[in-house]
Amino acid sequence: MKTPLRLLVALATLLPAVRAAAGGELNLFGWSEYVPQAVIDGFTKETGIKVNFETFSSNEELLSKLVAGGGNYDLVQPSDYAAEVMIRQKLLAPLDLKKLPNLKNLAPEFTRLPHDPAGRFTVPYMSGTVGIVVNTERVRTPVKGYRDVFSPAHKDRIVVLNDSRELVSWALNTLGLPVNTITAANLAKARPVVAEWVKLVKVFDSDSPKTALLNGDVDIGIVWSGEAAILWNENKKFHYVIPAEGAHQFIDVLAIPANATHLSEAYAFINYLLRPEVSVLISGAFPYTNPNAAARKLLTSEQLANPASYPSAGGRLETFRDIGKAAADIDRLVTDLKSAK
Amino acid sequence: MSVLPETSPTPAGDRRTPGWRAWLLLAPMVVWLLAFVVAPTCILLVYSFCQRDELGRVEFVFTLENYARVLDPVYLRIFGRSVGYAALTAVICAVVGFPVAYCIGRAGEAWRQRLLLLVMVPFWTSFLIRTYAWITILKQEGLLNGAVQALALPLGPFDLLYTPAAVVLGLVYAYLPFMILPIYGSVEKIDGALIEAAHDLGAGPWRVFSSVIIPLTLPGLAAGTLLVFVPAIGMFAVTDLLGGAKVPLIGNVIQNQFMQARDWPFGAALGMVFLLLFAFSYAVLLRFRNRGEEVV
Repeated sequence: MKTPLRLLVALATLLPAVRAAAGGELNLFGWSEYVPQAVIDGFTKETGIKVNFETFSSNEELLSKLVAGGGNYDLVQPSDYAAEVMIRQKLLAPLDLKKLPNLKNLAPEFTRLPHDPAGRFTVPYMSGTVGIVVNTERVRTPVKGYRDVFSPAHKDRIVVLNDSRELVSWALNTLGLPVNTITAANLAKARPVVAEWVKLVKVFDSDSPKTALLNGDVDIGIVWSGEAAILWNENKKFHYVIPAEGAHQFIDVLAIPANATHLSEAYAFINYLLRPEVSVLISGAFPYTNPNAAARKLLTSEQLANPASYPSAGGRLETFRDIGKAAADIDRLVTDLKSAK
Repeated sequence: MSVLPETSPTPAGDRRTPGWRAWLLLAPMVVWLLAFVVAPTCILLVYSFCQRDELGRVEFVFTLENYARVLDPVYLRIFGRSVGYAALTAVICAVVGFPVAYCIGRAGEAWRQRLLLLVMVPFWTSFLIRTYAWITILKQEGLLNGAVQALALPLGPFDLLYTPAAVVLGLVYAYLPFMILPIYGSVEKIDGALIEAAHDLGAGPWRVFSSVIIPLTLPGLAAGTLLVFVPAIGMFAVTDLLGGAKVPLIGNVIQNQFMQARDWPFGAALGMVFLLLFAFSYAVLLRFRNRGEEVV
C-alpha cells in the first residue's frame, strides 16, 4: 500500500497516461503497492479490457487530483474517510448493486460501515489495522497498548508511522477521548502526551516502517498491519498487538467517480476482484485483512494464522472519519512538537 | 551607441544588443522559463493569498492569514534550522571539496579527465537509490559497523542512522559535486606564473594560498556555495530517509501542507517566503562573486 519509493511514484504519476481511443478500457486510480500486476494481467487476458493503472500514495493525493478535475478515472480506491468526503461532495456515482453479483462473497462486518451506511457507493477491497509490532527477542516485557510502547525503557528503539493524525489519535485513544471529533480542548489535552512520545521515537516512517525493524535499528513500532504481517512472515519473533486502548481500522474501498465513462468495464473489474480465486492473489501479495469471506476459505492455514492479517484479540477498533480543517491543526501541533526537540 | 565609430564596435557593445537571431536561439529557453518557472510562481503567489475549503480546495478569497502563520515561532524556528543545516553543509562541502577541486585542476591533462569523471559517476544512479544505499551503510547491523567490527577497531558500534549527523552526511554527499565542479573551473584558469611569482617574492605556502589562490578561486567558491546552500535548504528526502523524519526541515513542512494537511495556500505562502530567501542569498553571493571577478 505504501511504497518506499514514494517520490518515484509521484514522478511517474506526473507522466501523461497513454490511453487508447476506442472502448474496452478501464482507467484505474489505486494505491501504489496494493493491486498485484498479476491480477490486472489476468483481467485483461480474460476480458480483453485494457487497464490503464495510475497510482497514488495518500488519500490526500487522490482527493486533490479528483477535486482538481484531473484524470478522468473510471475506478478509484479511496480509504473509508476519503470515500466519505467524496460521497458528501457528490464525487462518486451510486452503484447499481444488481450488476455486482459477487458482492455476496463479502463478510457482512465489512459492509455498510459509517462512511457508506447504505453500502450504495463503495465496495470493500482490503482492510487493515494500525497496531504494535514487538521484536520479542529484544523486548521481554509484555506490551499491550500505546503506553507500553512509549515507555522510557524504549527510548530511541521505536518506529512509528510518519502521520500526524495517527500519532494524535493514539494519544486521544490513550486519554479516552474521541478520535473523530477534534476539538481545541482535546488537542490541548493530547499535546503533553504526544510531546513525551515524540522524544522517545527513533524513526518516523509511513512508507516502509518494517525496514527499521528488520534492520535491527529499532525493537518496537506502531505500523500498518500489512507491514506487520510481512514482518511476521519474515520472522516469527515479530509479534503483532492491537492496542488495548483502541485502534484504528481502515477499509480501502473501490468506487466509481461520478464522471466515469467506462462504467461496464468498471463493474466488470469490481466483480472480477470480488471472485474468491482472484481475491486470494491479492492476499498473497499484500497480506492485509481480506473482507472477502469466500476468499478466506481458500487461504492457507499459515496465512490465516498471521496475527497481523487476522488479529484475534485486542482493543476496540474504530475507523477514521473526515475531520476537515482540523487536519491542519493536527499537523501544526505535531510539527511544533517534533521541532521542539 | 551612435557615438561609437562604426568601424570598431566594442565586444561589450555587441553583447548588449542581441539581434533577432539571438532571440530566436533564446526562445526555447524563454518559453521554458515562462511555462515552468514564471507561471508556477505566479500561481503560488495567488494561492498564498487565498483560503482553503474543508476539502482542501483553494478558495479565491483574499487573506493575509497564511503569511501571518509563516511568522509563527514554530515555522520561524524550522526556517532557522534549515538555514543552519544548509550552511553547515555548504561549509563542509567547501572544506572537503576545495582540496579535491584544486588537485584535479592542477593535475595533468589525462588525469584531470579521469578524476572529473569520478566526480560525476554518482550522477549515473538515481539520487534516491544512492540515499537508500547510505541506509545500508549506516544502519546498526550495516556495512560501517560490520567493517569496524571486522577490523577489530576499538571504536563503535556507531549509532548513526536516524540522527542529525546522518542528515548532514547525506546532504554533504548529495551536494559535494556541485561544490567541486565550479571550484575546479576557477582553479583550472589560474595562471601558474602568478603562484611562482608569489613564491619568488617570498610568500610562504599559507600566504600564497590566502593571498593568491583564494582570491582567484572566489568566483568558483561563491558559485559552489550557492549551488549547495540553496537546494540544501529545501531538501526533504534526506531528512525523511536518513534522519527518520524526526526533526522537520522547511522542505518537509511545505511537502506536508500539500499532502497530509491539505492546506495548499499555507504551503504556497511558505514557498514564497522560501523563494525570497533564495533571492536574498543569491544577491549576497553575487556581490561576493563580482568582487572576486574584479580581482581577476
